[in-house]
Amino acid sequence: MNEVMLSTEIIRILLVLILGTAVLVITQRSLSSLFSIYAIQSLLLAVLALVLFWQEGIASLLLISMLTLVSKVIVIPVFLRSVLRKISIKRDLEFRFLTPISSIMISALLIFGVYHVFFELRNDLHFGPLFLLGAVIGVSLALMGMMVIFSRRKVITKTVGYLTMENGVLLFGLFVADLPFIIEVLVLVDLGMILVLASLLAFGIDSSIEAFHERLRNFGLDVEE
Amino acid sequence: MAAYIIWIICLPALVSAGMMLWLSRCSAHAGNRHYSLLSIIQAAVYAGIGLWLANLERPLVLSGSGYFYSDTLAVYEILVTTGVFLLAAVYARGYVASLINQEEIDASLLPVFYGSFCLLELVLILGFLSNNLALLWIFIELSTLLSAVLIVTLKARENITAALKYVFVASTAMLFSFMGIIILFGLSQGTITGGSLNWTDLMAGAAGFNQRAFNIAFILMLIGFGAKSGMAPFHTWLPQAYAKAPSAVSVVYGAVLNLGLYAILRLLALGRQTADASLVSTSLMAAGMLTLGIAAFSLLTRTNTKKVIAFSAVEQTGLTLIGMSLASPLALFWVVFNLLAQPVTKALLFFSAGIWHRQYLSNKFTAVFKPLVLQPLASAGLVTGVAAATGVPLLPVFLVKFNILTGLAQQPLLLILALFFFMVAAGGMGYYLLRCFSQAESQPAPAFNTPLSMKVPVIICLILLAILGVFLPPWLSDMIQTITLELGLAA
Repeated sequence: MNEVMLSTEIIRILLVLILGTAVLVITQRSLSSLFSIYAIQSLLLAVLALVLFWQEGIASLLLISMLTLVSKVIVIPVFLRSVLRKISIKRDLEFRFLTPISSIMISALLIFGVYHVFFELRNDLHFGPLFLLGAVIGVSLALMGMMVIFSRRKVITKTVGYLTMENGVLLFGLFVADLPFIIEVLVLVDLGMILVLASLLAFGIDSSIEAFHERLRNFGLDVEE
Repeated sequence: MAAYIIWIICLPALVSAGMMLWLSRCSAHAGNRHYSLLSIIQAAVYAGIGLWLANLERPLVLSGSGYFYSDTLAVYEILVTTGVFLLAAVYARGYVASLINQEEIDASLLPVFYGSFCLLELVLILGFLSNNLALLWIFIELSTLLSAVLIVTLKARENITAALKYVFVASTAMLFSFMGIIILFGLSQGTITGGSLNWTDLMAGAAGFNQRAFNIAFILMLIGFGAKSGMAPFHTWLPQAYAKAPSAVSVVYGAVLNLGLYAILRLLALGRQTADASLVSTSLMAAGMLTLGIAAFSLLTRTNTKKVIAFSAVEQTGLTLIGMSLASPLALFWVVFNLLAQPVTKALLFFSAGIWHRQYLSNKFTAVFKPLVLQPLASAGLVTGVAAATGVPLLPVFLVKFNILTGLAQQPLLLILALFFFMVAAGGMGYYLLRCFSQAESQPAPAFNTPLSMKVPVIICLILLAILGVFLPPWLSDMIQTITLELGLAA
């Protein structure tokens, strides 16, 4: 009984910390720091899946945790840093439509709105006690990621917004339904391809069309300089 | 045997893409002719596979896991898609050769262009054959990625911006869809043992779904699949992507749009199995009217031929959504028919616009002069295509518009609104053509010698439109009726 209470408390703390990383993603201007925040957010998500596995004993949760750790905490941030070394921009200073302060205020409203919707639904969907908190923070994280996509100008920042959105969807999935593991893997493969393409296009925006096509021909970023 | 069909379907595209990669790496002489020939052969093989599937017993499980199966709707969509790809592959032969001559595409990028083109056809076919909603989601995502690659193969910086917009708008919306899929899976766990995302299982268990939760899942899924099919306000990627892509690619985007509409049609069928489908119908009607209105007014101010066609595609998505919202057997019959009429109409328009672009080296109407003298076939194609898209009688879209508007007769306000939007759209497209055909000659230019491979698809589309406008073959009518029956949408 104590173990369940402990894991529930840990999950609550992790969810709040994940929400904190989303606020940092919205406000951060340094791209390098943005990647670090994304890696921390993914690490928190991996730990959360691990705690859920400890609590519920479902093997797919352990696999999701491992997969998140390898792909989102290690591989994707390393890939993003390699992209950053190849493009000239290091900071994304411009915001459009929304300033960081207004983004945070809208986020607060979004969290409230999402909470209201899921509070109404909690009796219709017969899920666990943490469903409400997990679903609300998952959807809010996705919406905050979407705000990053629409309020930032640089492609690489938009990509981090998209990755944050995907983390939100994964978080939502962890609390709402035990999707088959193969679906999680396929979603990650899809995410990887979008990441490679977006990075390639980010390079295209930042370089000559000839240099961009040279990279496109080689399906990626590893060409002779 | 049936369990291995899906592997047989994957083979042609994988072989042709592999051969293209091999040619690009190992043969210094490989050029447009070789890559184009491979893509035509592949498209012909897929057209044959489509016909083969049409002659097999249905519904048919195509893989051991049950994740793929073919029913009449899937086969119908595959026949339309493979037909469009075959015409586009033939057209691309002459069109890409012209792009190379004008240095608008780097010859070394041909393997990337044709490889993506071939894989896109496979991804669409697999999407139509997916019995599983999550698999369909992934194939729709893959279609976005391959479409974006096809846009950036042209030598223009604006194409990178268009591709970025496409990827971010479509993929962001698709993440909302995925949330809807997660909720749907959660709901299925209450009525199906272990839960399922297979259409066949969901249709069987839908009656027991909690209505409020299903409605939220439906709206979330509609955002993603709607974005993919050009539904407002998530259509913003479409005009730029259509306008910037090579014309042979713009043509196949009609099939990509169909994949989004196909998913919405499946969701509608699912929604009709639940206790109360009123929110499903209302949201489709609202989305349809909004899409129709935005497209109609956007058509008034266009100056680019391909953007006019793109907004016409958005308008047609609005019409299709309105037809779906009515959910009457008659309206749904013509909605399904429109999934054939629209790609043929858009193919004719884009093939013709592509010839104009080769002639004037611009898509702007200001560059057009003496079109009937310089490019009579393409000009006839554009005029006929615009007439078809606006719903002129004796052309197939007229039948769709007429029957869907008839279905709206019981809601006079919506009927008047829809009629008004159709008239605005028709006025916008007509005015655009008028401006194209009344431009003064700026400087004399020789006629572009249109290759036969670019003329044949235009002629075939013209013939198809002429036939479909006055005669509905009994096999086609039977097929569409079977689709509405299988979806549980018939009377």
